[in-house]
Amino acid sequence: MAAPEPCYHCALPIPADCDYEVDAGGIAKPVCCPGCKAVAELVLAAGLEKYYRLRDAPEPGAGRPEAMASAWDSYSQSDIQAAFSEAQPGNTGSRAATIYVAGMYCSACGWLIETALGRMDGVASVDINPIAHRIAVVFDAQRIRLGDILGQLAGLGYKPQPLAPQSGTRPELAEQRAALKRLLVASLGMMQVMMFAVALYAGEFQGIDADMQRFLRLVSFLVTTPVVLYSARPFFAGAIRGLRARQPGMDLPVSVAIGAAYAASVYSTLTNGDAVWFDSVTMFVFFLTVGRYLEMRARHRSIDRTVALSGLLPAFATRIDNGQRHDVPVSQLVAGDRVRVPAGDSVPADGQLCSASAHVDEAILTGESRVQARQAGDALVAGSINRGDALEMTVKHTGVDTMLGTISRLSERARYARPDFVQLADRIASYVVVAILVIAAAVALVWAYVDPARAFVVTLSVLVVTCPCALALATPAAFAAAGSRLAELKLLLTNGNAIEVLSKATMIVFDKTGTLTTGRPAITSVRVLDAALNEQDCRRIAAALEADSTHPLADAFRDETAVVASDLRIVAGRGVEGDIDGSHWRLGNAQFAAAGATDASDDQTTVWLANDAGPVAEFRLSDDLRSDAAETVGLLRRRGLRVRMLSGDAEGPVRAAARALGIDDFEAGCAPERKLANIAALQADGEIVVMVGDGINDAPVLAGADASIAPAHAARLAQTSADIITLGESLLPVATAVRAADRTMRIVRQNLAWAIVYNAVALPLAAAGAVPPWLAAIGMSTSSLVVVVNALRLNRFS
Amino acid sequence: MSILYILIPLALLILGVAVWAFFWAVGSGQFDDLDTPAMRVVLDDDSRPADDSES
Repeated sequence: MAAPEPCYHCALPIPADCDYEVDAGGIAKPVCCPGCKAVAELVLAAGLEKYYRLRDAPEPGAGRPEAMASAWDSYSQSDIQAAFSEAQPGNTGSRAATIYVAGMYCSACGWLIETALGRMDGVASVDINPIAHRIAVVFDAQRIRLGDILGQLAGLGYKPQPLAPQSGTRPELAEQRAALKRLLVASLGMMQVMMFAVALYAGEFQGIDADMQRFLRLVSFLVTTPVVLYSARPFFAGAIRGLRARQPGMDLPVSVAIGAAYAASVYSTLTNGDAVWFDSVTMFVFFLTVGRYLEMRARHRSIDRTVALSGLLPAFATRIDNGQRHDVPVSQLVAGDRVRVPAGDSVPADGQLCSASAHVDEAILTGESRVQARQAGDALVAGSINRGDALEMTVKHTGVDTMLGTISRLSERARYARPDFVQLADRIASYVVVAILVIAAAVALVWAYVDPARAFVVTLSVLVVTCPCALALATPAAFAAAGSRLAELKLLLTNGNAIEVLSKATMIVFDKTGTLTTGRPAITSVRVLDAALNEQDCRRIAAALEADSTHPLADAFRDETAVVASDLRIVAGRGVEGDIDGSHWRLGNAQFAAAGATDASDDQTTVWLANDAGPVAEFRLSDDLRSDAAETVGLLRRRGLRVRMLSGDAEGPVRAAARALGIDDFEAGCAPERKLANIAALQADGEIVVMVGDGINDAPVLAGADASIAPAHAARLAQTSADIITLGESLLPVATAVRAADRTMRIVRQNLAWAIVYNAVALPLAAAGAVPPWLAAIGMSTSSLVVVVNALRLNRFS
Repeated sequence: MSILYILIPLALLILGVAVWAFFWAVGSGQFDDLDTPAMRVVLDDDSRPADDSES
């Protein structure tokens, strides 16, 4: 028998007793659940089956439809629609909305969304940006509502989140456009000036008309001026900022080099001096701009900060004004408002509970997976999920003032305070620039005494041959090559510095829930106490009872069966009960379903099933370790890294996971501040710490660690704090990242060594007058080329 | 050689036009997304929805 075919839509393995399938162009394809079936049918019925052929290797679990489809209708209400879209000028009824779409990583996704939305009646245009995970939709509000568009996106298996309209262009888009323009001006300017420079060099040998020489210099001056004043402006701005902050960086010597060479050339042009260096200036600016541009591209791949916080809170809340319920955007809530939170929804703001009691899941904030009981008057935290019945609360803090906002700020601050690894190459390159100018001046002086006729040519050769292009390119070229190769290996690099840090790391710290474990509890064992039933029956009954539950443990019981329970009642914090075939069943903790029984162990969660006669079965659940967790930890150990585990979860499960992975250095029950302090203590001891985590409670530590890695399914706030995001379910890319970082830094060191050796050999030769300018130009280009080709070897890394 | 006194300014003029055209293209968003358009060429709209062809 062949290996079972995975789900056609989401690529997850198909459960044994499941026979859903879809008709893909006459061929029956298996799918794993009714949700995937619905999505696949929607895609196929729209004639979009090409999506399945053209998408990148499917991510198991990606694109599984979300269970919360009903929520989208609220966006169709006029006032909420107005808050999340803006009227288009000059066109009545036409509105534009920007929607953040999580899970849109490849171009095929973009195409699917564009085509599926574009065919909806009333949608005027769809603009996709897969890199920023955004789509811009223009629609006719009289023919279609925002809620319908969001519903369609959710139906395709994505998680849409409408963004409140911002004024003006998004900052990173503006930055990218400006950088592209600077790069173009620098490259065109460099090419033109080079052309004139060749004519001027040729003139040195063959003789040149004095007028023609002056003309060519003047033209070079004209072309170089915008390159210096426009393309190189960020360097000058950075240098001034550095001086003001009394922390001069790499921008300062670069600015001095550019400014001095430019000013000297202008002076020389005006006074008919010996030489101009416009070609060196433009080339230097061009190579630096290329480096900056590549760096910026990598940075923009990271997830948008503005989205991070808003995505965790619901977009709108039900406010109670004088007994009347109104759906209002969360941004309109103020302290003192009374708000109703339906079962299963997240709490929109920090506040105080008004209902008698409530059960909330604060896992995203604290990492604690057990549901917490709250009494009237207790504090509720924005972002936690209501696991009990609908509750009412009074708003205390909203938006950035909430605890979520505080964690977000904590992350920002930790990121700012992170020890700064100044890039070696940049530092060397900037000193080299200054050194070159000094040496060139010295060479000119010496030759003016020895042989005034040759002084100019020799100085020129020195300047050209020692152009620090290879040095300036050594790091950015290797990082850019590593970045694109890592993306193919399912690693998204958002901060180039992380590569340098990763290669020096001494310690790697893992979060437990959702990182080392799957974050989805599963049944590990079933003990049947009633001889009349077998294990399968017990699972079916439990699944029927849990059918309506939104409790995190309920997922473990999910089972597609024919059994249907009636009169289901959720007893918050304890369990569920209901009737099946005339008998009454309870499923829940020992106290609820099996009075008197005690939970056998503390490292697993136990759930009891009971009927009126007494306990019938005992289910043991645990959050399984990822299948490759042990292998990953082993690989990291073999590379000489020490492994520690910090978890917000309780002692028992943490100890069990640590034992299974052979990690003896672990700490349970860590709040975000505690984790951060733990890492800071390690750093104070001289450790270079890499953090791997996925929860919101990990965000501050991810930001505070020297380098950090978050999986793609991580909370968005955690992703914004991470330097590297691993795509897909596997944990192995973490080990790959460390290996790739070592390899990249080796290439960088080779490049730097080459550039230094080349300059050390070429400089004395040029200063001695043994290198004519044309040979110097060839040598400089070759040296840059060697560096780039060496960096490209990283593309073959596997 | 005096032809250069005309040709070089002419070249600079063309350069200026090229820069202007590129700035306009960047400003109108043509370089914002360099991935999807490449895909769009391959994925032309040849298969219409099933209900369209039947009606």
